[in-house]
Amino acid sequence: MENEIHAILANLWFFIIALILILYIVLDGFDLGVGILSLLTRNEDRRAVMMSSLGGVWDANETWLVVLAGAVFGAFPAVYAAVLHALYVPVMAMLFGLILRGAALELRSQANNKTPWSLAFGVGSLLAAVTQGLALGTLLEGVPLEGGVFVGGAWGWLTPYAVLWSFAVLAAYTLFGAAYLIIKTEGRLQKFSRRLAKASSVLLVFVGLIVIPLTLSLHPHVAQRWAEIPLIYFLIVLLALAFYMLLDSLRKGRELSPFFWSVTIFLSVAGIMALSHYPYVIPAAITIQDAAASSKTLVFMLIGIGMLLPVMLIYNSYQYLVFRGKVRLGRHKVTEQA
Amino acid sequence: METLSDPVLLSRIQFAVTAIFHMLWPLVTVGVSLFLIVVEVLWLVTRDVDYYRHTNFWTKLFLLNFTIGVVSGIPLEFEFGTNWAPFSNLAGEFFGNILGFEGAMAFMLEAGFLGIMLTGRTRVTPAIHLFSTCMVALGASLSVFWIMVANSWMQTPAGGHLEQARFQVDDYSAAIFNPGMPESVAHMWVACVETSIFVVGGISAWYILQGRNTEFFLKSFKVVLLAAVLIAPLQLFLGDTQGREVFTSQPAKGAAIEAHWETNPPGSGAAWNILAWPNKEAQNNDWALQVPDVLSLLATSHPDGQVLGLKEFPAEDRPPMLPLIFYAFRIMAGIGFALFGLVLWTLWAWSKGRLAPERAAGNRLLLRAWMISIPLGYLATECGWIVREVGRQPWIVYGLLRTRDAASTLPAENVAASLAVFVALYLMLLIVFLVLAVQIVRKGPDLTLTPVQRVGLYRSSRGGQDVQDGDIYRGE
Repeated sequence: MENEIHAILANLWFFIIALILILYIVLDGFDLGVGILSLLTRNEDRRAVMMSSLGGVWDANETWLVVLAGAVFGAFPAVYAAVLHALYVPVMAMLFGLILRGAALELRSQANNKTPWSLAFGVGSLLAAVTQGLALGTLLEGVPLEGGVFVGGAWGWLTPYAVLWSFAVLAAYTLFGAAYLIIKTEGRLQKFSRRLAKASSVLLVFVGLIVIPLTLSLHPHVAQRWAEIPLIYFLIVLLALAFYMLLDSLRKGRELSPFFWSVTIFLSVAGIMALSHYPYVIPAAITIQDAAASSKTLVFMLIGIGMLLPVMLIYNSYQYLVFRGKVRLGRHKVTEQA
Repeated sequence: METLSDPVLLSRIQFAVTAIFHMLWPLVTVGVSLFLIVVEVLWLVTRDVDYYRHTNFWTKLFLLNFTIGVVSGIPLEFEFGTNWAPFSNLAGEFFGNILGFEGAMAFMLEAGFLGIMLTGRTRVTPAIHLFSTCMVALGASLSVFWIMVANSWMQTPAGGHLEQARFQVDDYSAAIFNPGMPESVAHMWVACVETSIFVVGGISAWYILQGRNTEFFLKSFKVVLLAAVLIAPLQLFLGDTQGREVFTSQPAKGAAIEAHWETNPPGSGAAWNILAWPNKEAQNNDWALQVPDVLSLLATSHPDGQVLGLKEFPAEDRPPMLPLIFYAFRIMAGIGFALFGLVLWTLWAWSKGRLAPERAAGNRLLLRAWMISIPLGYLATECGWIVREVGRQPWIVYGLLRTRDAASTLPAENVAASLAVFVALYLMLLIVFLVLAVQIVRKGPDLTLTPVQRVGLYRSSRGGQDVQDGDIYRGE
């Protein structure tokens, strides 16, 4: 009985953490994506609009990462320790990227010379996205553990599979970023964003077509899953449909739908991944229940963090409501639209 | 060099560097966010537009400070996993949980309302704007609470037991309200407020001394002075309380703070070393300037209360770097008394009518003293943390886990490289901060500013957001 309660709690926390991860990937994904895309324009006014579109929300977006880390740390301490230990180099690089882009985003508005700050913002965003992709890829490939402790080398994360995943994450983030900019901008910048969204989705399809067969050959248990669970094929159909709808909405010049379909693409992929690896938190090494903290802790966290999630979501949404609408560059409006 | 090949030492240095740097920013975020509530309420109540301009002016400095606080805070949470994996494994159930609380309750609240507080004046009602300011301040203070809960649990772990090398919580309330928690939360929170008081007061003093906008800055000066009347003596009292708590729960740390080697025999008091040079090898002080019985009084409130000396503890359980602990403590306490003295001096000047607008700039020495105290709160807090953390060694979780057993096995060159990047990035951020802060202060407040009307949110379905490049947060 006690064991079953623990299993339920552990699964519940796995679900909550997955939810926080999804929120983080979508919200900071478009945030980092806008940063990466800002590298593709030389026009300082455009960069200003791109960065301003994040002004009121970037801090909250990034805070989901802090909440995510805290939730994993408390609910699955062994995973937190093993994974971060294994990923020392990419995690440190991600932190440097986040420091650089966060500082640049805010300090740029006060600085006289804008260009170095814009560059730091773009490069920091790119670094954070690439390293998050490497981290995700390493995790999905499997981390060598003995007795729950990381025993691999410091550079074990640098594998072709992880590099492929980092391209996938890069493409997904730029897609989110471009779709967000379509909502927040108008005129030439919006057209530019449409082109970028199209390019990102092509890259995403391309990477996906390599990653999927590679995953099936790398993890026999995933291939077995795919043979057993029909839901996975439903999600693959949904994925294909979402891609079609995304390209269609871009062609038709829709403003909100590209973001919606980008998120649908991501959610289908996330669903496929979860079904492929469940109940492992670290594929083929640690299961959810093995890694979970005691029932007492999980219940206490549920009261403290679980209950707060809806509240956080409410004031997060309020923030988007307050800052809704197009971003325009007051003083330089003429130059941008000329 | 030997240090560069020891990954554990490098991880310790890296944590020290990142924590010491990060500590600088929340100190002011916590206090100035409260100050911003006060001036915003004063504006709404008195309708004196100067207070409105005060909120505008200090918000600029607040934002600059807040940004660096946010970006430098994230690495700390991750370092527990990357550099201190065995610690995370042992303590995660409680410690990680508490950090999660901090993220979910405190940071989210701050981040969720910061944008509205900074640029929302044109988009929300004054009441919602004030509410947002309060939520930002509440978030900052909650974060002090949770982080001190987590840290004081490392000092005085309670509420659970070790099982298979993992700390299992039996009683959450006992773990959260661990023996050292109330004192540490209070001491740290008041440190934030006191540091901010002297930052705002010191900057105001600079303007008054220059004769620039004297009347305007006398307002902020008096607001923080009134707060200081309460806070400065309170901090001395809290420091004393905290000191006694250390002698009860971590006697080895207490003895290290005071360079106290020999336990005083029954019936006699322990002497207090005002100044000394503790020598680890000789297990004695090379020299010392002593006052009889005072240490017993300080630690136990009795003139002959027993105070355990360092020699009572096996050498491997004694804190290292004794002179650092000893002098860091004295710098902290000295600053506490000096700031209290400055408050008394200023009150005296005020009572003599010297703070009247036409006479204020004449208090050259007094105003200079306020300017000099701008960095003192920071210095005292950092020294306090050094005493707290170095004094807890050789333990990472007091009595449960030693620091040397808590570090991840990492190649030294990787830790050295990340440490180098942290140092470079943080130096750059510090320089940029100082340059921009000086720019903001030089430029001064905008005294032509008039309160804006709400135009945005509910006016039309597509409110839009006009920004001025280079003026993103000054659209108000």
